[in-house]
Amino acid sequence: MAMFVLPPPPRYPPTGFSLGSPYAMGGAPMPVIETSNTIAHPTGPEFSFHTGEGQYTLREDIHLATPPPHPSETPITSPNPLAIQPAPPSAGTRISTIVIKTPPGTDRTSQLYRNSVLANGDPEAESSEPRTSVSTEEDSTDGGSKSGTDTAGAASTVATSMTHLMSDNKFGGENASLAPAPAKDNKKRKPKNNIQKSNSSFVSRVIMHEALTKKLQETGASEDLFVFANINRAYHWLNLSAKQNKQESLSKVLFTKSHPICHDVNHVTKGATHVDIVMGFSTGDIVWFEPMSNKYSRLNKNGAINNSAVLDVQWIPGSDNLFLAGHADGSLIVYDKEKEDAPFVPEEFLEEGDTQKKHMSGFFAAKSVNSRIQKFNPVAYWNVAKQAINAFAFSPDHKHLAVVSEDGRLCIINILKEELLDVFNSYYGGLLCVCWSPDGRYILTGGQDDLISIWSFADRRIVARCSGHHSWVTSVAFDPWRCDPRTYRFGSVGEDGRLLLWDFSVGMLSRPKAKAPRGSVSSGNNGAGRMKADGQPAGRLRSESVISKVDDDGVTYHPVEPRARTSNLPAIMSKVIDVDPLCQLEFREDCIITTCREGHIKTWDRPQSSGLSVVPEST
Amino acid sequence: MSFFKRSKSSASGASPAAAKKKEEAVIPPTPIQLLVQDAPQRTDGSDKFWGYENFGNTCYCNSMLQCLYYSKQFREAVINYPKKSLLPGAPNGAINTNAKLARISTEPAAPNGKPKVGAGQPAPLARRGSTPASAATPPNPTKPEDKDSPEAKKKAALALGPMLNVEIPNSKNYNMDESLFSAMKDLFESVVASDSRTGVVSPQRFVEVLKMKNELFRSQMHQDAHEFFNYVLNEVIENVEDHAKAANHNKINESTSHLETASTADSAKAVSTASESTAVLNTSWVHDLFEGALTSETKCLTCENVSRRDEPFLDLSIDLEKHSSVTSCLRNFSASEMLCERNKFHCDVCGGLQEAEKRMKIKRLPKVLALHLKRFKYMEELGRHQKLFHRVVYPYHLRLFNTTDDAEDPDRLYELYAVIIHIGGGPYHGHYVAIIKSEEHGWLLYDDEMVEPVDKSFVRNFFGDKPGLACAYVLFYQETTLEAVERENLMDEERAAAKKAKLFNKTDVKADIKRKPSKEKVNGHVNGHVIPVPVEEVPDVAPQEGPRTPTLGPQPKTPTGLPPVPAIPTTYLAAKPVTPELTSPVSPVKSKKEREREQKEEKAREKEREKQAKKEEKEREREAKQKSKEEKENGVSHGLGRFRPASIGKKPFGFKQIVEKEREKEPVPPIPTNAQQLGGGDASTTTTQTATSTPSLLQSPFPASSTATNGSDNRNSFYERQMNGSTTHKEEKKPKEKEEKHHRASKMLRKKLSILG
Repeated sequence: MAMFVLPPPPRYPPTGFSLGSPYAMGGAPMPVIETSNTIAHPTGPEFSFHTGEGQYTLREDIHLATPPPHPSETPITSPNPLAIQPAPPSAGTRISTIVIKTPPGTDRTSQLYRNSVLANGDPEAESSEPRTSVSTEEDSTDGGSKSGTDTAGAASTVATSMTHLMSDNKFGGENASLAPAPAKDNKKRKPKNNIQKSNSSFVSRVIMHEALTKKLQETGASEDLFVFANINRAYHWLNLSAKQNKQESLSKVLFTKSHPICHDVNHVTKGATHVDIVMGFSTGDIVWFEPMSNKYSRLNKNGAINNSAVLDVQWIPGSDNLFLAGHADGSLIVYDKEKEDAPFVPEEFLEEGDTQKKHMSGFFAAKSVNSRIQKFNPVAYWNVAKQAINAFAFSPDHKHLAVVSEDGRLCIINILKEELLDVFNSYYGGLLCVCWSPDGRYILTGGQDDLISIWSFADRRIVARCSGHHSWVTSVAFDPWRCDPRTYRFGSVGEDGRLLLWDFSVGMLSRPKAKAPRGSVSSGNNGAGRMKADGQPAGRLRSESVISKVDDDGVTYHPVEPRARTSNLPAIMSKVIDVDPLCQLEFREDCIITTCREGHIKTWDRPQSSGLSVVPEST
Repeated sequence: MSFFKRSKSSASGASPAAAKKKEEAVIPPTPIQLLVQDAPQRTDGSDKFWGYENFGNTCYCNSMLQCLYYSKQFREAVINYPKKSLLPGAPNGAINTNAKLARISTEPAAPNGKPKVGAGQPAPLARRGSTPASAATPPNPTKPEDKDSPEAKKKAALALGPMLNVEIPNSKNYNMDESLFSAMKDLFESVVASDSRTGVVSPQRFVEVLKMKNELFRSQMHQDAHEFFNYVLNEVIENVEDHAKAANHNKINESTSHLETASTADSAKAVSTASESTAVLNTSWVHDLFEGALTSETKCLTCENVSRRDEPFLDLSIDLEKHSSVTSCLRNFSASEMLCERNKFHCDVCGGLQEAEKRMKIKRLPKVLALHLKRFKYMEELGRHQKLFHRVVYPYHLRLFNTTDDAEDPDRLYELYAVIIHIGGGPYHGHYVAIIKSEEHGWLLYDDEMVEPVDKSFVRNFFGDKPGLACAYVLFYQETTLEAVERENLMDEERAAAKKAKLFNKTDVKADIKRKPSKEKVNGHVNGHVIPVPVEEVPDVAPQEGPRTPTLGPQPKTPTGLPPVPAIPTTYLAAKPVTPELTSPVSPVKSKKEREREQKEEKAREKEREKQAKKEEKEREREAKQKSKEEKENGVSHGLGRFRPASIGKKPFGFKQIVEKEREKEPVPPIPTNAQQLGGGDASTTTTQTATSTPSLLQSPFPASSTATNGSDNRNSFYERQMNGSTTHKEEKKPKEKEEKHHRASKMLRKKLSILG
């Protein structure tokens, strides 16, 4: 631990740049100097927190430098707080992580599975390519995390076999016109434009680390944890496994006016010399970026297909080329990274009578993935919500998609059939984040009601609401290393700057205070629940009082469960870990990573002692 | 629509001040006028959007009155209270009101922006056609940054009128003494009864009554909006109760005669009139709306006895915490509190002062939940109040967690419908504005005289952490249901679709104007202009003019029934989409330093680009080809080629070319189904592109008024050219491409000058 703390980089403007208002106060000229990232290792009681398994301590706090505004970003000279120009959507720092190791190690499914969970519902599927993977010394891990490991491993075996079963059943697999062109020499295709030499008005400039090539050559020596992070109009590439100066960006791309809001790394195509990244921008633009060769391509250029901001983007599990983007107008669009844009015209014109019905569900495929016209993007185009799609997550078996939107809805979609199955509502307010449990049984959502809601996928109902945050919940994630068949560990971060950890098992849920009888009705009014992923029939614990509507399309609308009839789960740990609102939470085997709106990336070491084993806190 | 009329009159009114009038014709309808011009008028006043005149620090009063007015239930209750009132609510109210409104004078503002006071004669409401040109001209057109300032907007709103001077109390007609309630009722009724959808109310009498009744508000000082809210509600309750008592007293003697005066009530209302004797007594409507009940549970820690005490509330004042949400603050409000030491609790059971635990819960949920965020905190060390700038987020919907177990409907869903915002650094000065959700037209900003539609996301600008010292201060949530919310979402969507379709048609109009820059009359929609479009996008193209005119109702119709498009100097309108790069990013708002910096960067880029020039060119060609191919594939062919100057790439690269090249690189999407098209495929107006939901954007009928920003830019450049003494009039006749270059050159020149100077 370093004993000194470096001064933080200057912030522009004083109130923080990424607050959504890229303008200085008072029209003061803003500095144009480019500052560099800083790292700090503060210690003390306020930089650690305790749980049953031990003490988590802050390993490091990397602070990304906020870039000065681009000259073309006209700063408003008079700070009229009532100026009504809608500000472009902005986002705090979010990260995409990937572990690269050369030469390729053995394929460790469990590890891969875990990575997939970490990548927030972006699991890897079968791929013919030799795949790089992390092979850490799992044997050396303490007994505590071993139980978690086993679970994850077991669960992933299920997932893997599932993937086998559905290998023909892959998303878009039935469509011959989507079959990828055979790659020449088995070489991964790179984007076409060089970002350094680009004269596009979209990219401002690229700053590479002077010793980048040397650093990249060294990567073979050990496994590397690459972290890609956005802040304001900049996109950083960091190596968190570096021995020293890990705060220095390997490269940094500065964009002009658009801000990257979300991004994702393709775990299928990754390699020692190749990483496919896709970024979604505040202007709706999407960039496919390969940082090792500094190549990029633009998609949905100037909003040619959809001109609303991209709020979440993820590679479709198992796909080399396809990725899914959630737009601020409520559309979910599948793009192919190598296809050109074409202006989008809905293929399926709705008939007059149809409109009403479709409006009811709010979901329809304006272009199906099975459409034969697949020369250009988009590959598929679904209208899902009436308001912005804030986040989505793929189920571990890659068959389902959970989508949360600003109108407070959680939609469960079967992506293979392109069907909306269920619509749930938040207690109130928009939903901001979503994730699946490693075994695919539960879905977590967090939102503007300050709650985390646990939904049972199989039973199609809410399981519990978790209160403890003091503000909106911005990110939720399961900790697969601390999940076992009975107990699930998950964490959440929010705008209150707090990190909360929760242990959840169905048995330990406190009964709600209302005395409403919870009969175990075997099948609800809309037939049995869906079959669980592991083949176990669902439908137990259905309350009669839940009157769900089913429309003609088979979409089930679930009413909001009253507070009195829903279990409330308390947190096992709550701690303010940042002065600014937090954005993202990610569990890794050895640490927890959190990010905040002002560009802090904090890494928290897991408890060191192996003596403290995890006792599942279920009763 | 008023815009049509106004510009029509100016075009046909061959007055000596024709030149000036021409300028006036250019002024597009304000965003708020645009918002309502096509919508059918409702009878309940919910879609009348009037500003309130400020009499010197009366913004607290104005913003609160607006919040109360747009609470549907409150407004209707105020209007309906003494049932015998002949005034509106009824669909045909407008007919009756003309006689009734004798007390209201409508005067277009005098050029100095001050309303003419004391005009008591009945006057036709819509007289904007005769508004003096000088008054309608926006102040300081040469300074574009001023145009968007709140002051300028307010002045413009005052100048535009109509003014509604509510100064003669009408309380006699309500059979009441003059009170704050009657003054408020006067205000609400005049707005509801007015024929105009927009304008400025002068709440003169209301303010006078307020100052008369309460010395607290007598000074010219900055007042607390929340205190005012509390005072008004209590005052209204009192006034109404006093009146009811008096009425009750006199009822036996006078009720029959009262009923006779109320004879206009039609037979359908006979029942309610008959039951008036009891209705008069119904004074609890304020309570019904705003009042909830709190239960304070005190648990004596000695004898474990829990004592409960209920108390009513009209609003909840909640303490704030850094980085929290309203939900969390409400939870804290109900968090248990220890009564100990000097603050012990007197327990009746075990007698004497005991330690106790106390918590407040909501027992009865109000229909309208007013949440006062305690931003002004007394700092003991400073000895004064200080404003807290904590970031407190508030959702659009809310449920209450802190209810008692026996509360009725504890899961009631609330929706945010109004926010009062305090702008300023402290409690003793500053400004209040209100943002209120209308029933049909989305969110609107009410800043004294000015009313302006805003994006829904605008509501979230006041969490407290943004520059500008503006924070939400009072939040109004009203009860709703999930079904209602879903219905509303659906309606929003349909409206958005309708607007989109309309916009599509409008774009056609625009294209027409561009194609025919002559002063020939263009009847917007047809005119031989054929664009193959998706069938769903063109519902009733032709009949659109038809239904719109009737909505004008009381206003005189234009003789021809044609929109006065020719009155707009079409040339410079047309030039707009061709010069997108110049109009928006390089706005003249920039400081000298910024421009310098920008030029440096531009030069650096230029060098780099020269290398790439050839490559670029090829790519562009290929892209263009592809584009046309795509267009064919989609069955859409537009004359968009005219956006591309043909000569690009053949000259050596200079600054001009680079700007052009920048634009060229981004292909123009061929289907103008979205707002982007209004910006002419301009890559730089990203903010407007993302804001397709902005009503002003979607409704604009003319290119000149396409968006607030674009429109003003457009005009600005026009004014600038005039200012620079360049030959504007000659310029206008030239082909637009030349003009564009000239424009660009003058811009360059200005830039250089600014660097030198």
